[in-house]
Amino acid sequence: MKGISQMSRFKFILFGVFLLFISCAGHQTTYIDSNMDFGSVKTVAVMPFVGLTRDPVVAERVRDVFINKLLATGAVYVIPVGEVARGTARAEIQNPTALSSDETIKLGGIIKVQAVIIGTVKEYGEVRSGTVSSNIISLSLQMIETQTGKIVWTAASTKGGISTWDRLFGGGGKPMNVVTEKAVDDLINSLLK
Amino acid sequence: MISLTVFLNKLVLIFVAGFFLFPNLAKTEEVGKDSAIASKGKSRIAIYPVENLSGIVAPVKEIRQVCIEKLKGHGVDVLEEEVLEKFMTKYRIRYTGGVNREIAKAFRQDINVDGVLIISLGFYSDANPPKISLISRLVSTGEDPSILWMEGVGLAGDDSPGILGLGLIEDPKILIDKSLKTILTSLMRYLSGGQEGQVDKGAKKKFHPKISYRSPALDSNRKYSVAIAPFFSISERKYAGEIMTLHFARELKRAGNFNIIEPGVVRQAFLELRIVMEQGVSLANAELILGMLNADLVISGKVTDYEDYQGTWGKPKVGFNAQLIERKSREVVWSSNSYNQGDDGVFFFDRGRVNTAHALASQMTQWVGKMMLEDSKRVQGIEGSKDRVK
Repeated sequence: MKGISQMSRFKFILFGVFLLFISCAGHQTTYIDSNMDFGSVKTVAVMPFVGLTRDPVVAERVRDVFINKLLATGAVYVIPVGEVARGTARAEIQNPTALSSDETIKLGGIIKVQAVIIGTVKEYGEVRSGTVSSNIISLSLQMIETQTGKIVWTAASTKGGISTWDRLFGGGGKPMNVVTEKAVDDLINSLLK
Repeated sequence: MISLTVFLNKLVLIFVAGFFLFPNLAKTEEVGKDSAIASKGKSRIAIYPVENLSGIVAPVKEIRQVCIEKLKGHGVDVLEEEVLEKFMTKYRIRYTGGVNREIAKAFRQDINVDGVLIISLGFYSDANPPKISLISRLVSTGEDPSILWMEGVGLAGDDSPGILGLGLIEDPKILIDKSLKTILTSLMRYLSGGQEGQVDKGAKKKFHPKISYRSPALDSNRKYSVAIAPFFSISERKYAGEIMTLHFARELKRAGNFNIIEPGVVRQAFLELRIVMEQGVSLANAELILGMLNADLVISGKVTDYEDYQGTWGKPKVGFNAQLIERKSREVVWSSNSYNQGDDGVFFFDRGRVNTAHALASQMTQWVGKMMLEDSKRVQGIEGSKDRVK
């Protein structure tokens, strides 16, 4: 009887540890093509992002932050947005936010890039819970190789939101720009690590 | 007798020390009323109607009139109103925010004008405390119009409230006068052969770009010729793109290593080449524009926020990104993202608070210009460059 209770206590602790691990897991989900040589990617194009929020300019804001952050790493060169727009028009792409494999290959040939990045801003702005409010961003990105049209990297990140600390002690969270930079940093780190 | 000598010696010492400690006192004469353009020769200036970029009804005619009177008072030869009107009618001039080559040439040949003063009103609010922002530049006439002088000012009635609010300005007219005085003092200093106005103090570190990239291809020792393409605006403020273009023109010119092409000439080039930018400058467009203007760099960008506020409560907000494309390498040699609010880094008694978007944007663009010229080893690939650029 005593042995059973010891066993169940052990299981209970194990389950507790498991729960702790789950709760500590980040929001980031990443896929990296193991066959892809990322070192060969020197120049990329960042396509207009899809914005699933009410504000239509949110996607533009996040895209600009991402382009600047990516350039600032010095790891890859990002072609100017005007050049992307010209390439999109020349390749007669109807929807530059969602590229097919063929379109990606065609675009890559025109603007001479090794990869294109597309993205979706799923959430951006203020969230409320009771009397507490905070800023949140949820962003997912995909990198498509222009030689094959295959997705070689995907990642998603959510930053900001209302923490336990905010619930207990209040506070308005961090400014939107700071939260955006954190999410973008998170994604770039997953790409360049 | 000995005591008199000692006294005189002390007096001389005090004067000498005074000259070393307060050198600016010597300059006050330079900006005086008599130091006018007369000293430079028979220069004649045309003053364009004020370009209203505030998006609201503002006393632009009054501002221009005050400006004309003050300049005439300083002895500047201002072109007569009737002559300017006839000239503008003859050449069908509607755009008063710049001067293109054709107009500049006509100004010189037809009516013998040496410079055109362009005044842009960025913001105006007569709600208490009043606010105003002005950017002005003097453009040369003739074959190749260029910016000779440029200055801007953004003021709010509560910028310096002082003890018991004695320094508050509640009358918009006083604020207009104050802003024009700042601008015209700088202009007079330039016309009298002095240095171009340095009204603002050095930009504070908190206004540096939050993200920036600088290519090693950008040579900080070389003098570049820069064309500023119109900035896109996704902010709610009308004409935010045009205002930001002027901020960049002013601050890059002040940075020293850039020869800024007159925005009116750049605008004309865009119109002649029929370039419609969808999202930004493409490499093909950049090449065309730079070739036509014989420039080395083209700067373009996007304004994400440009907000002023009316009344007492609120804070200005400015956000933009800028990209610099080089003609030779056909590459982006500078890219940055900046955003700030008027109360950034303000903790006690509103000390260090900025009350106008103009003042905020001015300091932010000043930092961009400064960092573009920084040593490439220190700045290349900066990410959140808080501590690297001094």
